[in-house]
Parts: sequence; C-alpha cells; structure tokens
Amino acid sequence: MSRHSTLAPASSTNLQQKGTQVTTPAPAPATTGTGQILVSARGLQKSFHDRAILRNVDFDMRIGDITVIIGKSGSGKSTLLRALAGLTDPDDGEITFDGKTVFADKKRTKDWGTVSSEVGMVFQAYTLWPHMNVLDNMTLAPRKTRGMAASEARDRAEAALDEVGMKHHILSRSTQLSGGERQRVAIARALMMKPKLILCDEITSALDPPVAAEVLDVLRRLKEEDGIAVALVTHDMAFASKAADRVVFFHNGEIAVNTTPEMAFENCDNPDLQKFVDAVRF
Amino acid sequence: MNGYTFDWDVVARALPSMIQGLGITLQITVITIVISMILAIPVAVGRMSKIEVIRWTAQGYIEIFRCTPLLVQLFWIFYALPALTGVTLPGYASAVIALTANLTAFMAETYRSGFQSVPVEQVEAGRMLQLSRFQQLRYIIVPQAMRQQLPVILSLNISLFKDTALVSTIAVADLMFISNTISAQNYRALEIFTLAAFIYFAIAFPVSLITSAIERRMQNTAGPGFKPGPSLLARMMPGTKVAAAKVPA
Repeated sequence: MSRHSTLAPASSTNLQQKGTQVTTPAPAPATTGTGQILVSARGLQKSFHDRAILRNVDFDMRIGDITVIIGKSGSGKSTLLRALAGLTDPDDGEITFDGKTVFADKKRTKDWGTVSSEVGMVFQAYTLWPHMNVLDNMTLAPRKTRGMAASEARDRAEAALDEVGMKHHILSRSTQLSGGERQRVAIARALMMKPKLILCDEITSALDPPVAAEVLDVLRRLKEEDGIAVALVTHDMAFASKAADRVVFFHNGEIAVNTTPEMAFENCDNPDLQKFVDAVRF
Repeated sequence: MNGYTFDWDVVARALPSMIQGLGITLQITVITIVISMILAIPVAVGRMSKIEVIRWTAQGYIEIFRCTPLLVQLFWIFYALPALTGVTLPGYASAVIALTANLTAFMAETYRSGFQSVPVEQVEAGRMLQLSRFQQLRYIIVPQAMRQQLPVILSLNISLFKDTALVSTIAVADLMFISNTISAQNYRALEIFTLAAFIYFAIAFPVSLITSAIERRMQNTAGPGFKPGPSLLARMMPGTKVAAAKVPA
C-alpha cells in the first residue's frame, strides 16, 4: 500500500505536456510522475574554484518518481544530489521540498530543519559504520535523535531490513557483509527515518552487475510499495530504461535532457546523450 | 668474556632501590600519558581548524616539539625557563612538563590522522540521519579514529616509557637515575645496567606484543571489501609513494 496513495494524480495539463517535453532543458516540472511535485529546484548554481559545476539548473521530482540522473564525471550530477541533500549549499537558486521553500536567497530557510529528515541518502562507498553491527547502524540515529526506545528501534530495524531482504543479517558486523548487502542495509538505514525521498549517488558503481541489479530492484520495490521517490545517479542503462520515470542527462553543469526513458534511449536527438549512452552500453 | 667475573649479589642488593626508581618511572609515564591523551584532542582539532591563526598555532607547537630533541626540551624547561621567568621548577615537575609537551605533539598528529582517516561519506551519512556534530564525533569519528590509530598510540606510549630515562639527567630519581647511581657506587655497570634493561624490557615487551596483536586483529577483522588506507608515513608525508598495508586474502 503506497504511503502516498491519497495524493492527487498528475493534472491533465501535465499529461498533455508529456509528449512535448523531450530533449529540452527542464524549466517546467517533470510530467510523468505519479503525484504532486515533491522537490523543485530553480536556477541552482554552484562553482568550485571558479569552475561552474551547476549552471542555472531547474529540476523537479514528483512523489513516488524514480529519476535516473546520468552524465559524464564532473557534469554536476552528484553536486545536484548533494545540494538536494543539504550536504552542499548552492551559490544561488531556490529549492522547494514538499511545498516548503528550504533554500532561497543564498541561504537555508527555517523550514530546512523540518524537512531535512525526510531526505535520505546512500553513498557509493563506505556506507555503513564498520565499527558497529547492522542493528546498531540501523538504530543509532532513531535512538539518539528521536529518543526512540531500543525495543521500538529494533522492531523498526527488523521491518526495514525485511523490506530489503536483509533481516537475517541484523546481528552481523557490517564488515562481514558483501558490497551489495552493505548497500541494501544502507538503504534500510535510510528508511529508518521514514524519508519521502532517497538520493543515491552511484551506489552500484562498485558492484557486479547481478548484485547491482538486486540493489536497484530494492529501490524499485520501495517506489512501488511505499511511494518513496528515488533520485539515482547510475550508469545502469538497463535499470534506467525499465524502472525510471524520468531520465535526466547532465552535460557541462546543465540539464541537457529531461525526458522519459523511452524518449531518452530510443528517440533522442541530443548528440551528447546519444554518445554517452552508446559509450555506457558498450 | 674478557675475564669478567659476575657479581650477582650486587643485583640482589640493588633490586629494591631499582624497583623504587621504577615506581617513579611508571608514575611519570602514566601522568604524562593521561595528560597528553587529553591535551592532544584540542591540539588535533586546532590543527584541522579552518581558522588560520588557530591552525598555524597548533601546527607551530607540533613542529617545535617534533623537530627538536627531547633532551633539549627537557634541559630548556629545567635550566632555561627559570632564567626566562624567574621560577625554578623541581626536576619532577620539569620532567612531567617536558615529556607531556613532547608526547602531546606526537599524539595530536596521531589523532589528526585518525580523524582524517574516517571517510567523509561516513560522517555525511551521520549528517543525513540527523546526528548532531557532537554525536557524529562521539559515535562515528572518535571510535573509528581511535581504533585505527590504537597501534600508533600504544607505540608512542612505549617510546615515552623508554624516553623517561632521560629525566635522570635532571636528577629525577627514576629507574635510570638509581641504576646509574648504584653502578657508580659499586663499579658494577654490566650487572646493574643489564638488570635495568631487563626491567624496561619486561614492561615494554608485553605492551609491544599487545600492539602487534591488535594490529593483526584489525587486519583480520577488516572483512571483504576492506581497503587499507595509506600508511601513517604516507599520511604524514603527502606525495610520498608508500604501498598500502597488505590485507590477508
């Protein structure tokens, strides 16, 4: 049962736009989502040492969407995720989360604190704390930040691990797990805070294809069963074509393409995207 | 053996006094280690500060004590500081201050490299889970940094224990001072200093074994996917090509 099943579907106006929004940069909201806009970024800019990483990026995600973000290294994908996660503040622009403006006028607003717990993030590597077992990894934050009782935290940890098929590893040390198992536990750990959005930064890049497929399958189930939105930086085109609602292609700090997987992989007229997809597929 | 005749009776007579000296040695060692391990934390944090004045001050302190001989530091505090301040410190206090200042500098660098060895993603994971800065330090950074640097910390402490012998030069009645005195009185340097060496060894060797065991255990429990970080040498000398530690298959 979707957590967000009561939310209104996309408007007919949006649905009509579906066919037209193909390979243009995305000033308008994404249109294939299953519900209302969850995250909206407008005019995001970020530079490191005078090098522009994000150039006026406009980006939207709907509740329950899986958005796959692709692009070459240094094109701005991870910086966008980090900006949405609050790990990096943009130089300029505006971010709205669940209807609340959380970043504007070059600083965070007071609403940032209230919504930041609704965003989870899973990283490429070093995802679990190696000096703790799986249970402690799962329950540390709820116990320390929300004062949750140990028994309640354990129950919730078991439920979250069950969702990712890792319940039998609850007392394992994180160092005893394989790469794919660690990433699944990391996803479950993010679920402990009941996020509406999970950001995944190349979480499968260090995994073998079958293991990566298992991890990505977990994300697909979270979207389908819990209505959690997922923004995923990946080079797994098979997953992008099967499970993504939107494919966003970054090029030189800008969103060059924001469209559906079908349009991105089969009817795309953007030469940079074609070149990238061909290279990754090869 | 050069016709030398051992006199083990002198060892039996000297032992009680030497054990007393060992007491002073251990006292100075423990006090120095405890104070240094605490003081090194703010120095290490200062060394990583974004505020240049704080960072340079911490780094200046560390470099001064790392790049001058401990004996010079000891003499400076015992002989030179009174000339500067007019305050004469007893030998025991001078010894503790000099050893503490020296060990703190080395310990701070060890802490710093330990803190910096914790992958930033793990700290960011804590941030994403709403842990406060103190909670990130308490539950994520310090446990891993200490675990990572425990062998280095124990090695520093072993070195400090041996370096306490230098305090005999400013008339602190430690094990070395007592040994030297008894040796001079009895002309039995071989027996006395052999016994002194044995006592130092008997204390330091078990700690050294523990250090090695901890290192082995850390490597064996690293688990699949563990990537050994750069060695301490590589971290202390950026740009130096030093092979990472080998991980058992």
